[in-house]
Parts: sequence; structure tokens; C-alpha cells
Amino acid sequence: MKKKLTVLFLMVLMVAGFTTMTFAQEETTITVWCWDPNFNIYAMEEAAAIYKNINPNVNIEIKEVAWEDLQTQLSTSLSANQTENLPDIILMQDNALAKNVNSFPNAFYDLSDSGIEFDNFANFKVELTKVDGKNYAVPFDNGAAINAMRVDILEEAGYTIDDFTNITWEEFIEKGSDVKEKTGKPLLSAIAGQSDLLMIMMQSTGNWFFDQNGEPNIADNEPLKEIIRVYQELLEKEILVQVNDWNQYISTFQSGTVAGTMNGAWIIGSIVPVEEQAGDWRITNIPRLANVEGATNYSNQGGSSWMVMANSENPEIAADFLDKTFAGSKELYETILPSSGAIATYLPAGDSEVYNMPHPFFGGQKIYTEIIDYAARVPEVDYGIYNYEARDTVSTAITQIMSGQDIQSALDEAQSTLEFQMW
Amino acid sequence: MNKKKLFRASKYGFLIIISFLSLFPLLWMFIAATNKSVDVLAGTLIPGKNLIENFKVLTVNTNLYRAMWNSFKYAAVTTLASLLISSLAGYGFEIYHDRGKDMLMKILLLSMMVPFAVIMVPLYMLFGDLGLLNTTAGFALPTVSTAFLIFLFRQSSRNFPHEVIEASRLDGLTEIGIFFKMFIPIMRSTYAAAAVITFMNAWNNYLWPLIIMQKDSAKTMPLLISNLTAGYTTDYGVLMLAVGISILPTLILFLALQKNFAEGVTGSAK
Amino acid sequence: MLNSTIEKFKAYKRGFSINKKHKIIGWFFVIPGALLIFSFYFYPIVRAFLLSLQGGVGNNLRYAGLANYKRLFEDTLFKKSLFNVFVYLILQVPIMLTLALILAGILNDKTLKFRSFFRTAIFVPCATSLVSYAIIFRSMFALDGFVNTILINMNLLGEPINWLGGPWTARLLIVIGLTWRWTGYNMIFYLAGLQNIDPAIYEAAKIDGASAFDRLTKITIPMLKPIILLTTIMSTNGTLQIFDETKNLTNGGPANATISVSQYIYRLSFEYVPRFGYAAAVALVVFVIVAILSFIQMKVGDER
Repeated sequence: MKKKLTVLFLMVLMVAGFTTMTFAQEETTITVWCWDPNFNIYAMEEAAAIYKNINPNVNIEIKEVAWEDLQTQLSTSLSANQTENLPDIILMQDNALAKNVNSFPNAFYDLSDSGIEFDNFANFKVELTKVDGKNYAVPFDNGAAINAMRVDILEEAGYTIDDFTNITWEEFIEKGSDVKEKTGKPLLSAIAGQSDLLMIMMQSTGNWFFDQNGEPNIADNEPLKEIIRVYQELLEKEILVQVNDWNQYISTFQSGTVAGTMNGAWIIGSIVPVEEQAGDWRITNIPRLANVEGATNYSNQGGSSWMVMANSENPEIAADFLDKTFAGSKELYETILPSSGAIATYLPAGDSEVYNMPHPFFGGQKIYTEIIDYAARVPEVDYGIYNYEARDTVSTAITQIMSGQDIQSALDEAQSTLEFQMW
Repeated sequence: MNKKKLFRASKYGFLIIISFLSLFPLLWMFIAATNKSVDVLAGTLIPGKNLIENFKVLTVNTNLYRAMWNSFKYAAVTTLASLLISSLAGYGFEIYHDRGKDMLMKILLLSMMVPFAVIMVPLYMLFGDLGLLNTTAGFALPTVSTAFLIFLFRQSSRNFPHEVIEASRLDGLTEIGIFFKMFIPIMRSTYAAAAVITFMNAWNNYLWPLIIMQKDSAKTMPLLISNLTAGYTTDYGVLMLAVGISILPTLILFLALQKNFAEGVTGSAK
Repeated sequence: MLNSTIEKFKAYKRGFSINKKHKIIGWFFVIPGALLIFSFYFYPIVRAFLLSLQGGVGNNLRYAGLANYKRLFEDTLFKKSLFNVFVYLILQVPIMLTLALILAGILNDKTLKFRSFFRTAIFVPCATSLVSYAIIFRSMFALDGFVNTILINMNLLGEPINWLGGPWTARLLIVIGLTWRWTGYNMIFYLAGLQNIDPAIYEAAKIDGASAFDRLTKITIPMLKPIILLTTIMSTNGTLQIFDETKNLTNGGPANATISVSQYIYRLSFEYVPRFGYAAAVALVVFVIVAILSFIQMKVGDER
């Protein structure tokens, strides 16, 4: 009896061993690093569910990592040449992409020939994810700039949202002063010394802080000087109020201290939690700089894209996963939009019903299709490899200008600092 | 008599002001943990009704229990190991001092003077080569012995009554026996202070745990808190709740040990 | 009279013998700790030094000799960050340590009531997470914040101060933040140190007729000297390497007026185009400065 049991036991073990072996051979795990459970992680989870139906043997594992932490881990692992702990897919901030690809060549997988249809994405995003003509990422979230305004306050002053659509900054200042006079509310708030608004204005002209050859262009940057002039006027006329940090900025429009805000489309996530203001907001495009050639009413702030790591054991599977979901599944975008407000830059999604739904908080305005439309019109800009350095030097110059230093000398300083940092 | 009373009253007054300034932000934080994000940002000082809701969101969106447990495990192990190794070394440096040991102490102090961000990459390479990435050993090894703790014990040992050592030797105790049976009990105030500080530093340690442990299941509280601020929208009520919970273990340890480092052991030296 | 009492105690200590056998045993006590530090601190420091001799970006590094160090002389941002941390060092450390010492002295009085509460309250800031206290700090010092409102109501100010907007007011904020946060931390060491002073010496001094002030200056402070030395070295080291406060309270602003050296190193490694070699050079310069200052402090204050 004992012998029979032992044999049976051994047979069961063998069968179990075989089955686990075969399953282990077939099942692959793709690890993804990204941040924000309400937005990116949620989108990834839905994408994983869709892909499960296409390729059941692939298991998508998501790890939540803040962007700054992700960059730290990436830089440390890559420069120490210890890549075993790196994932297969990461979410990368668009403004850091060129820097990372350049600093760590061969660390990222080239997606140009992976079958992904890049034409389906907003052009400016695709350009941001290209280095030396190769595609390194699948564009994801939409940072197209919007001007969100409290129409109940505008109404008090006799304006509607249409009065602020497709206008110039001159007109904005004129109408803004009027609103301020009649209602006491500024139209904008911004964080002092962190020139997000200025970045938005810069990109709207199709220019950046580098010229065609990648050389710093600050001291003689005419659009920049015009932007500074406009910013100063906004401040002087108290149409723009400055605050000291991010949570104070959010608080200004949540508490109704200001009657609007301009930022990437994702700012909607901070507008809608204020239930008392439901129905009082609308969005439109941003003003353009009339005195700058090529200026538009469209821009971008923030935004990230999915990259595949070269150290991945299964880069083709990872690429296929992205292709079938973020680069190919209208269904994915339709699913994630209603619950998370995750508006992407996948243009075909703009035709779907879900994207055409009116949004109650915005008084029934079809904000999603509008935002996708804006995304398609954002001017292409090359942030460059030294983007963080450029932003810092320009922010410093702006702070000094706002404290009284004259514009040209501050910009000259910024120019030489940036040149020094590009070595 | 009046001068004395005035002096005493002003002492209390001084302490009350300092205590209030110290506690106010903590109080604000606990109030914020009970409010909705919108209200937190508006600056309310009234406790809200959102505590349960915030807690639900926190436990659903993050692995709170796991992170607390990880942080606790790491901090406890590091503290115990640290105290042992560092106090042994500090005792050795002081009680058996000679020119060589004094020089070595000065050299060890140098180890604290390079910013960690720069040591991080070579250390990571080292642990990678040793195959210790993602292990508890990798986690703990760099922080178990620090020049700071050794220095603390060395300096504190200056006031260790040497007649105790003489007497113990006469009684037949070995040197190591003297350390365990005499030094540790007598110096308990230093151990208590060191325990609280080491635990707190280990709990709040950010950069090293970030890069050495890549598994999601090994996340610690500081990383969890960092993730809460990484999204496009931050729920400040939930954030403050997480921060508040994170402080509790260190606070509890402090409350448990404070009598030891602040109220001395009367007559122990005799 | 008092001096002879102190001398008697000191003489007793000096009579303590350490023979050769003891000195060897002592090495066994010391080696585990020292070995760990050599392996996990000095080895990376040496590697970092080697790294500082390399130029280049990311992981394309090549030997560059002392080029990184030469460049530091022209690096205005580096010089600014160095200036800032010295401002913090000079302003903040003496105030904080004096305050901590006074508080420890007051709280060591066994006849004082509610000592437990005061101790805990003063400790709490160093355990409080930076994330939360940064938010409230900045809102208290905003243009329309609590501090300005109070100062204006008390007629000490005519107009609100833009604390975070001006270079020196922002630096002052960092100093205030650091003092708030770390006074309790240092107080704990002083309290622990005070427990290790043999009460008999105070008794003897009282019998000899020493006043409270005499007891403070001739007994307490000299006997606390080892711990005071510990805290000055640690605070000097900590302040010159400060990172968390400048990043979270002011993010180095306004216009880099508060940026610290460690923050600059972090930027060089993880925000700007990564130049780990250059960052290592910056770190080693800090290292040399801190080492020199600590050496001076040890020379002056380290005695048996």
C-alpha cells in the first residue's frame, strides 16, 4: 500500500512539475513603471485587460513610481550598468525624453519599425518622442493647453466664453481688465518663478529656447521678450495673480479667488472636484501673441509617453502590447475617458461617441472632442536635450525681471548661464 | 521669593510658546487628514468629516499596510543591528583609547561628509556586482554602521564611570562581559536616545530604499507618500492622512523611551 | 573650593588604567563597525573620486583629469549654492544649538511639571514629514498668510513681506525652518548627556557653595563638552549638506537664492543632463570643506 501511494504521489508531482514547466515557459511578464493611480495606472490596467484577450499568456505587472523617483532609478541603474531591476515599459515625461535617450544611448528600444502607426497621433507629440528620426515612444497623455474660465463671473461683466476664443493677448488683457473692474476677480493665477504659463505661451508661437542648430536662444529671443512684456502687463493690471506653490495655485481657482486658469488639459482633474462650481466652467483655446510671426492659439504643457526599455527580455511583446492597446484600440480610450478624464492624443478616438459626449460640469460642452482638436493643432517644438537647464535659467531670469531687473540684462545672464551648462 | 517665582513662570511661558510653535503644524496636519482636499487647500482649521473616506481612498489606492509593515521591519532591524555594532565600536574607541583608535575615529567621521546622492551610484554598482540588489541584506548593510552613532557612543562613554570597570574586572568579568552587563544598563539613556533617532532616520530614509528595492512589494512609507504627490491631481486630505499615519511609530517609540533618556537613572553609578 | 572638587573627580578618572592587552581587545570591539563603514562608505567615496576625474554625459564617460574641478571655479550656480549653505551654517547652527542646550537645561529640572509633554512637543518637528510641514510653512509665509497678517496687526509691518519672493527673506525662511525642525533633535542628545553626569558632583559642588550659574558653567557645560562637540560636528555636516528643506520649502528659489550644494548635485544627476562625474567633483569639494571644519572643531573641542 505504501509503495503504491508513493508511486502515485511521485506521478502527481511529475505531472504537476510538467504542467508548471510548460506554463512557465509560455507565460511572460511585462513590467510597467508609471505614476498616478487615477490616470496612467488606471489606463494601463484597462490596456492590460484588453491585451489579455489578445495574448492570454502575457501578464502585465504595474508598479507605481513617481516620475522623479523613476528618473532617479533610471539614471542610477543605467549609469551603474545594472539593468536587471529595470522594467520593460516606462512612462516618460515628454520634456525629458530627448535628454534620456541622448544620455543613455542603447538603453531604449527603437519602435520605428515595430508596426505602430504613428500617424494616428497628434503630430507635435510624435515629434517630441523622436530622436534622430527614430521613434522611441508611444504618445499618451494629452497636455494640450486650455483656457478654462468661470462663465458665471464672465457673465457678470457681460462676456461669454466666445469672447475669449481665438483672441490675441491684447484682447485678453483688455477684456480681462474689464472683468477685474466689474467683478474684482483676476482671470489667471500662476506660480511665481515657475514659468509654466510662459512655457505655454512660448510653445504657442512654435518657438523654444534653442535655435535651429540647438544653440541657446534667449538673449535675442524676440518672442520671449514679447511674452515677458505681456506677462508683466497681466501682473500690473492684476489680471494675473502670483502664488508661491502648486497647492496654492490649485486653491486659487478651487476657492474662486480667480475666474479661470490656463494649463494643460489635465488641469480639469483639479477643477471638477469642486461640486459647487458645476456648470459654471467652460473651456476654450488660449490667446495668441499678435506681434509674433507664426503665433497660434494652441500649445502644450506636460504630457508623457510610453517607452520600451532595451534591457527588456521581451521587447517585441512589449511593443506589440503597446501597439494593440495604446496605439490601436479605440475601445481602450473610450473606456478610460469617462472615469478618469484621461484624454489622450490618439486622434481616431476623437470620432468616438464617448469623446463626443457633453460634459455636465462644463455645462454640456463637448470638451473632449475640442481638446483632441486642440492637440492636432499644437505647433511642433523641439524641447531639446538641455530642456530642464533652459527652463531653470529662463525662470531665474523672469524672477529677476519681476523683481525689477531690466529685461535685456536678465536675458543676457540667462543666455550665458545656459551656454555654460551646455558643455 | 518673587524673583524666583517670576523666573519659574517665565520658564513655563517660554516652554509653552515653543511647544505651541512646534506642535501647530502637526495639529494642522491631523485636522487636514479629516478634511476633503478642497477644504484643506482653502486653509480650514476645523476638523472635517472626511476621515473615513480619506482612509478608504488611501487603502484602496495604495498598499498602506504593506508599506507600514515594510518600513517598520526595515527600521526595527536597522535600529537593533545599528545599536549593537555602533555602541560596541564607540565603547571600544573610548574605553580602550590609544592614538591609533583616535585617528581611526577621525577617519571614520569623514565617511559622513560626502552627500549620499554621489555615493549612491558606486554603492549601487557594488551591490549589483555582489548580487544583493533587491535583498534585505542589501537594504540594511549600508545603514547598519554609521560614523554618527559610533561617535555618539564614544562621546557618551566619556562620562561612563570607570570605577565600575575596575570593580567589574576585580569581580572577574571579561571585557565583553563588562560591556553587556555594565555598560548597556548604565548607559541606557544614550541607548534610548540613539534608538529613537536611528529608528526615525531609518523610517524616513528615502534614496537608498528607492533604488535598492525595485519590487513593488518592498515599498516603504516615504515612497508611498511620494507617489501620492506624483499625480496630476493630489488629494491633500488623503496625503495628510498618510503622512500622519507615517509619523505614529516614531512618536510611539519616543513616548515609550523618553523617560529613559530624559529622566536618568538615579544612583545607578553607585 | 569648587575647582578642587572638580579636580578630585578628574583625577579619579585619570587614574584609570588601560594596559596593552586592553588596547588589543579594544580593536575587536571596533573592527566590525569600522569594517562596515570602510566597505560601504569609503569604497564608494573612492569610486566617486575616480568618477570625478571623468567628464561626459550619462554613461558615456571618459577620463578628463581635473577638468571638472577647474570648471567649478567658473560655475556661478555652484558658487551661489556654496554661499547659501554657509549663510545657513553661520546663522542657524549657533542659534539652534544654544536653544537646544537651554531647553535641555530647563527640561532637566525634575521639579518642573509637564516635562513629558514639553519634551514630546519639541521633539515632534523632527519626526514630522517634510511634505506636510512644507505646505503649511509656505502658506503661513504667503503674501496674505498668517505671519504677515499677525505682523501687520501688531503694527510691526506696514506692508506684507513677500517672504518667498526675496532672496534674503527666503534664506531667512530656510533658517527658521531648519531651527524649527532640528532643535528638538539636538535637545535629545543634550538631555541624554545630562543624565550621564554623576549627580554626586553637583551635590559636592552645592556643599562647596557653588551658585546655580557656577554649576552650569563649571560643571554642566564642561561635562557636556563631548556631546556638544558631537552636535556641532553633526550640525555643521548636516547644514552644509542640506537638501530636503531647500528642495521642499523653496525649491532653491527665488532665482536660485536658496539652492544648496546637495540640491545642485541632485539637479546635475537627475534633472539636468546627467553628469555624474561633475556631480562627484562638487560633492568632493563639499567633503573637503566639511572635513576641514570638522578637523578644526575636533582639534579645539576634543579632549579627555
